[in-house]
Amino acid sequence: MKQADLTANTRMITLLTAVAVLSGCVTSRVENVREATTGIGEGEGVVIMAKSYHLGNETEADFISCVGNSIGRGSSGLRVVPHNEFVDALFPWFEPRTAPAETKGLPKLMSRPGVAEKIREKGVRYVVWLDGDTDKVAGGGSMSCAAGPGGGGCFGFAWWQNDSNYEATVWDLSGQEDAGTISADVSGTSFLPAIVVPIPLIARTRAKACNALADQLKVFIVADESA
Amino acid sequence: MPASFKSLTPLLATIVLAGCGGAQVKLQNPTIPEPLIDRIPISVAARYPEVFDKFVHEEQVIGKEKWSIDLGQANRLLFTRLFSSMFTDFTVISNDADPRDLPIDALIEPSIDAFEFSVPSQSQTDDFAVWIRYRIKIFDSQGTQIANWPIAAYGKSQTTTFGGSEALQRAAVLAMRDAAALIVLQMDKATGISKLSEARAREGVMPQSAIPQEEQITNAATENSSDETG
Repeated sequence: MKQADLTANTRMITLLTAVAVLSGCVTSRVENVREATTGIGEGEGVVIMAKSYHLGNETEADFISCVGNSIGRGSSGLRVVPHNEFVDALFPWFEPRTAPAETKGLPKLMSRPGVAEKIREKGVRYVVWLDGDTDKVAGGGSMSCAAGPGGGGCFGFAWWQNDSNYEATVWDLSGQEDAGTISADVSGTSFLPAIVVPIPLIARTRAKACNALADQLKVFIVADESA
Repeated sequence: MPASFKSLTPLLATIVLAGCGGAQVKLQNPTIPEPLIDRIPISVAARYPEVFDKFVHEEQVIGKEKWSIDLGQANRLLFTRLFSSMFTDFTVISNDADPRDLPIDALIEPSIDAFEFSVPSQSQTDDFAVWIRYRIKIFDSQGTQIANWPIAAYGKSQTTTFGGSEALQRAAVLAMRDAAALIVLQMDKATGISKLSEARAREGVMPQSAIPQEEQITNAATENSSDETG
């Protein structure tokens, strides 16, 4: 009886270890390039925007929400102005067609009637432009599933590799300048072995890229390396 | 057949059919914020064609699902909101009103030339995209057409957890906002509408006080109408 318990426990530990090891099969690289000094005062906040799809950007909406939520979370969280609220308040100057593509368009934008006042009213100091996406770059294996009156099941093995490449460009609206760029490159392989029941071991590259980018953004904006 | 199974049959059929994709989409209260722009000092009226007010686009995606997109009052809301923020004096007139009898510098008549969309099964992405080609005709106070300006607007939205209908609605609203942005940026340059006020002043036509109109929209009234656009 004890031997049977021991075998069951060993199997469970092996399975959990496999899950922990395989789902952790993700590599990431985060880099930042600073162009100007940063810092954030009381009442100042950031807004997270996607680069325009008119420029070919494919950044997922849930990634933008994820970065915004992550930056605002925790004791060191920054004040994040909701993207929709900001875009509506400044309509039509931050629509995909009209938003400035480079910081050299900022002086003209700020000189438009009501724009500088509205940005001040919203307390937005930094605009973070997100670019990039998550792609499936490879995959393989095969799996077949069948069901009958007595039950069903799957057998086989499938795998796929995702690459999440994102770049965050930080604009300082107070200085009307490009403060710098942070990039996150996360790669991971997911596995789906199935012996009757499929066991998904998912490499969450997008979530990892989101957290890595958000953590680095908080440090980048708050702590000035040149100081 | 057991009664419980009978009662489940319509539900199962709905779930199965919903899974096939396609839907009826109706735009409700699209978000068209008040534009942050300076008003052009000119008296303008707009006349909306009937089809503009009740625009419905139906399309069967080849070999796949059928979609029906009802823009409803969304276009009227968009252009009324936009023009009342762009011009110092703006009025919407009925289709049978003669612009020559009105104390206006210009009459704008927007219409839809074409509406197209794509769904993820066509584009092999997660995106719904909408293209709307508007046409804006502008007439002077004498009823002479002075501009015929086509606008190509585009909106794109990703599939959401709640399905394609919401994403398609969002893409349509983004296309309408895109059109609004284009109009704000380029209308005066493309049509020369602001010069019509000077032209009318030169002709010595004095404004009249009584305007036969469908609805008078003053600037103050516009500022109070934000709830209708959501």
